[in-house]
Amino acid sequence: MRDLTIKLLAKVALAMMALLCVRSAAAQGNYEIQVYGAATVPPKTLMTELHSNYTIQGQKFNINGVIPTNHQEHETIELTEGMNNWSEIGFYIFTSEQDGHGVQWVGDHIRPRVRAPDSWHLPVGLSLSTEVGYQRAVYSPDTWTWEIRPIIDKTLGRWYFALNPALERTWHGPDIHQGLGFSPGAKVSYDFTRAVSAGFEYYADYGRLGAFDALHTQQQQFFIVTDLNTSPKWEINAGIGVGPTAGTDHLLVKGILGRRFDWGHHSNIE
Amino acid sequence: MQTKMPPPTLTRRRFTQLSGMALGSLAIPEAARAATAPDVSLVIAPYTLEASPKHHIKTVAYNGQVPGPLFRMREGQEQTVEIRNMAGDAEVVHWHGLFLPPEIDGAMEEGTPMIAPGASAHYKMVPRPAGFRWYHTHTFAGKNLTKAQYSGLHGFLLVEPRDNPAPYDREVFLGLHDWRGQFLGSDDGFMAPTYDVTTINGKMLGFGEPVKVKQGERVMMHILNSSPTEVHWIALAGHTFQVIALDGNQVPEPQTVAMLRLAPAERVSAIVEMNNPGVWVLGEVRKHVQATGMGIVVEYANSTGKPAWTQPQELIWSYRAFAKTDNTGLSPETRKIELIFDSKFQGHGNEELWRINGLPYPQNSTPEHAPLLKSGERYRLVMRNKSMDDHPIHLHRHTFEVKRLEEGAEIAGLRKDVVLVPAGKTVEVEFVANNPGDTLFHCHQQDHMDRGFMMVFKYA
Repeated sequence: MRDLTIKLLAKVALAMMALLCVRSAAAQGNYEIQVYGAATVPPKTLMTELHSNYTIQGQKFNINGVIPTNHQEHETIELTEGMNNWSEIGFYIFTSEQDGHGVQWVGDHIRPRVRAPDSWHLPVGLSLSTEVGYQRAVYSPDTWTWEIRPIIDKTLGRWYFALNPALERTWHGPDIHQGLGFSPGAKVSYDFTRAVSAGFEYYADYGRLGAFDALHTQQQQFFIVTDLNTSPKWEINAGIGVGPTAGTDHLLVKGILGRRFDWGHHSNIE
Repeated sequence: MQTKMPPPTLTRRRFTQLSGMALGSLAIPEAARAATAPDVSLVIAPYTLEASPKHHIKTVAYNGQVPGPLFRMREGQEQTVEIRNMAGDAEVVHWHGLFLPPEIDGAMEEGTPMIAPGASAHYKMVPRPAGFRWYHTHTFAGKNLTKAQYSGLHGFLLVEPRDNPAPYDREVFLGLHDWRGQFLGSDDGFMAPTYDVTTINGKMLGFGEPVKVKQGERVMMHILNSSPTEVHWIALAGHTFQVIALDGNQVPEPQTVAMLRLAPAERVSAIVEMNNPGVWVLGEVRKHVQATGMGIVVEYANSTGKPAWTQPQELIWSYRAFAKTDNTGLSPETRKIELIFDSKFQGHGNEELWRINGLPYPQNSTPEHAPLLKSGERYRLVMRNKSMDDHPIHLHRHTFEVKRLEEGAEIAGLRKDVVLVPAGKTVEVEFVANNPGDTLFHCHQQDHMDRGFMMVFKYA
């Protein structure tokens, strides 16, 4: 009964987000699908995000003990705290819900990030994120992974561009000897109004750096996304994506609902 | 008449070298030049401002100093003016607060000719009205946050009144300015300049000459906010300000206040009674702004020690405090001009396009859209700010009377040439159209001006 309620709530949340329309993008095996922008969360601010991703059409078979992704509902809580005006630290709790499996804890990641300070006056936004974490083997054969993600972005008039050429390394699991994998993400969006932007996001996993997998086994995902800039306190994103290769879930919807909490004391003066 | 202010030694030398080169190239005999020496001489040239030993700012300045020289003039006494432009861009000098003809007021939108690089302008002007005025560049900066009002092209002008509005022992002129601006997208993606360096009289706190005072003195402080975009809040630790004049015009109700608020282009003239010996900081009230340099030390004779600062806990300022209440309402002879301010979104990577009555400049200043003034008539400008920004609104070549500030009763007697119209509020001012010629009306925020927030009023 409890599972059914949670399942219902999760689907309602996803449906609401789809209705609200949203933006954004993908890392971590469809638990957090997001192309990062270069800005960091300001100090004394906590950014809370709920990532809701549902695989409409995915892997239907149990392969090497990994639960199939088809009709999996992923709910990820992301908490990011601004450390100062050029760094932040993020923490993730990944969960999965699926018929026959109920709601399951999948794993946790921690993600420190630094950015180029404003005083550098760079023509683009630039930051560097690194992420370490664990995920259960029934959801990912590689249980301990590490990622380093350079982030470059630029806003030009109504256009926004972001590039995340991420590198991944397995610390424990079948791919431990594969070395660095190349998993880039990219985003292009356009401001249709002050509140509504829309565009495309791209996520991929090409395999080992220097010896990419064959195209049909690579992960390749393309999303149409929208962002709602309704308030500085809120982040609302949504998208629908396709994966045309055999190595990719074929159809997903994703949503992010974020809220900033400012817990610092600010005098009237400031 | 020019009053010398202490400029940095090193940069003065550079200025002298530049001036010598220019004079040599003109090949004018010294005697001939002396015979025709203008009352006001301005040389516009590149300049490196030493805001602190660690902050050298390449800019453009008048006569090799920031702020430019202080000019004192007698009201109504004709002045000969010479402006030489040795900078790389065309320039124009606006005499802010004076009732000048549009040909020399200093705005190309009114018809003042720009001064090309290497060229000069010569003219005569009759300064009026009396009061604390200023002069500054009036050009376009766009995305280059080192040009126009972002530069060092500003200076003090005092048109001496026949009688002083209040007795004082000495005057001090203080200019607030922001430097090294950059456009940053804020959380909601709007573009707003932010600044790395802020100064008073071209120096960061602790790096300029202190203002030296004596116990018992009454010091008239003439404070100018020449910032391109920023409102500033100023306090003097351990002291209060008796505000005598706003924008150079005597206020009907002088008040003693703990702090001053100055929107871009506003001036405050206030008397400070030096009755609390010590070494104090006069500076920006907001800590994060003062930390970028906006402060100056005020030092009593025979006092030593670290400058003291007392942090105020509230920002308090109201135009209303300095005005009389007026319940007479709008007179039937006064004509209303409705002006609605808003902006058009142009992408999170662009500034807004600013509009008055739905159109940016120059589209709003065509004969079918611009207000047409009749000489001698009294007008009320009803300024409705529909945008999310405050706007310091300036009317050239006229003084207006602030009549309504949204909340509360109408007011009277507060004469200004800049008024801050808060976001979402309506402010009403009245003026008499008594100075025929094209008259520029605009937001004094440089980035807003550059993005359409101007309008030219025409006379019939």
